[in-house]
Amino acid sequence: MTTATHDTALAQAHDMRAAEPSLLRRMTRGVRRFARRSWMSAFWGVIAAAIVVIAVAAPAIAPYDPLKSDFRAMTKPPSERHYFGSDQIGRDTLSRVIYGSRASLTVAVGAVVFGTTLGAMWGLACGYFGGRFDIISQRIIEFLQSFPDLILAMAIAMALGAGMGTVIVAIAITRISFGGRVIRAVVLSLKEMSYVEAARGLGASHLRIMAQHILPQCIAPYMILATAHLGVAIIIEASLGFLGVGIPPPTPTWGNMLADSLNAGLIPPWWLVLFPGAAITITVLAFNLLGDGIRDALDPRLRGAV
Amino acid sequence: MYSYIVRRLAFGALAVIGVSVVVFVVLRVLPGDPLVAIFGPEGYTKLSDAERARYMADLGLSDPLAVQYLHWVYDIARGNLGHSFFRAESVADMIARRGPLTAEIAFTSVVLSWLVGIPVAVISALRPNSWGDNVARFLSILFLAVPGFWVGMLIVLALLFMFGYRAPLASVSLFDDPWANLQIVIGPAIVLGLGQAAYIARMARSSLMEVIREDYIRTARAKGLNRRVVVSLHALPNALLPVVTLSGVLLGFVLAGSIPVERAFGTPGLGYAMAIAVSERDVFVMQNLVFLYAIVFVVLNIVVDLVSAWLDPRIRLA
Repeated sequence: MTTATHDTALAQAHDMRAAEPSLLRRMTRGVRRFARRSWMSAFWGVIAAAIVVIAVAAPAIAPYDPLKSDFRAMTKPPSERHYFGSDQIGRDTLSRVIYGSRASLTVAVGAVVFGTTLGAMWGLACGYFGGRFDIISQRIIEFLQSFPDLILAMAIAMALGAGMGTVIVAIAITRISFGGRVIRAVVLSLKEMSYVEAARGLGASHLRIMAQHILPQCIAPYMILATAHLGVAIIIEASLGFLGVGIPPPTPTWGNMLADSLNAGLIPPWWLVLFPGAAITITVLAFNLLGDGIRDALDPRLRGAV
Repeated sequence: MYSYIVRRLAFGALAVIGVSVVVFVVLRVLPGDPLVAIFGPEGYTKLSDAERARYMADLGLSDPLAVQYLHWVYDIARGNLGHSFFRAESVADMIARRGPLTAEIAFTSVVLSWLVGIPVAVISALRPNSWGDNVARFLSILFLAVPGFWVGMLIVLALLFMFGYRAPLASVSLFDDPWANLQIVIGPAIVLGLGQAAYIARMARSSLMEVIREDYIRTARAKGLNRRVVVSLHALPNALLPVVTLSGVLLGFVLAGSIPVERAFGTPGLGYAMAIAVSERDVFVMQNLVFLYAIVFVVLNIVVDLVSAWLDPRIRLA
């Protein structure tokens, strides 16, 4: 290909892009189509978005300071003053549930961004290069997969000591093997495509082939995996908090609140158990169903598979 | 078949070695200081340097890492699993006393998950998009999202409120008092079983829907066999192959899930012991229990692979 034809091709591509509707327009159209195809996923997508908004705007929405005790309202059932009741040292449960969404979402997004992404990149390299690197990597991934998620996360969180960062790392490590497996399988089949061979024939470097030709094809499976992992990460985070190796106590997280409720007397007050758990369930449900919708939209062949 | 078994066992042995290294690296090499874990951050700052060095030497933590690792493996090989920092009971006794209960819970939950999951899947798959199918699918999506330990807490609360009932807290063996034992086991087993049933119903539904489209099913129907016979004798056995594999993997996750669930129910099993060990940051107990759970998980995976190879010649001969 000469430089001249290359330039005209580029210019044409540019014109075509200019002729298409604006990015915003395309996005709204995409969202509308998505909503029409699966209204269930769209509905839960709206709920997921609402939860994100609540987490971001927590200080504006929460009626009380989540850390402040009110000694006139200790272990009080839901009332007009405290819609979700208050805990044994008089903190407002509604405010704590609202602030708890921050911890959950931060940890979940952090774990997926680090863990699933790192795993996906590792899988990309494994699938592309193959050979000894791949064999050794597969063994390491197998060792990581020899632990049930929660047990590995527990051990890592305990060893590293409490904190938001350690919880993210602990959950992220359990995500690596899944990202690695799935993306590797995708890359193995892509590698044999003739357009990849063509790129190699043109003298493209490994880095360029991986970044320009293989990576874009991996985005759909990655998105499917990532949304599925958000829900898993939220449940693991809650379990770690419940077991006392999550984010340390004064910070309100849903898992911590459930663990606290066990210390609130011989019989835990029902409102301290019901609301944080319901928050976990609704959040996970929202992300899972949104993820199902994204999966169906991006790759109908995978319907019901993941 | 024999060469397949040998190959699978060899990989299993390799996995056990790899797992032991991962456990050791996570619990001993990562930056957390075991003395901080034992004494807490405040207690740690009160120790003098000499005391710290003495404790480290007592616990064998000042040896080179490779020596510590070999020492640990040697101890395990001799059956010496060490002691908790906080309790007199040795880890081996703890496993012997509490392990059977957790195993019982795990096994019961698998049986329950099949009893619930498979019929639901059959109903769903034979009438896709009927209201029964939609309800079943919604429930299975719901159960995938509910944290088991929270359901456990709700069940305990509801029983207390409505009947003033609480499951016995002391451990009772199945053989001494089956009725008391059942009361302890059934709660966690139901919670963990329903979680698995959701996965099983999903997997069995999609697998069954694929199988009933095959030619041999149409042939069986065409030669006049009734629908029930075709589904239960021709379609189900083939459709359940992936479910067997899944069930084995899920059993491993049940062992992990039983940790917070047993904590929620106050069940005197191994999972509760692990929950206590992790909240007390009992590094040595954790190290051995995590290793034990991982070995069980690896063995389960081998068993599942061998069973599915035995059931399916395509895997065995590939």
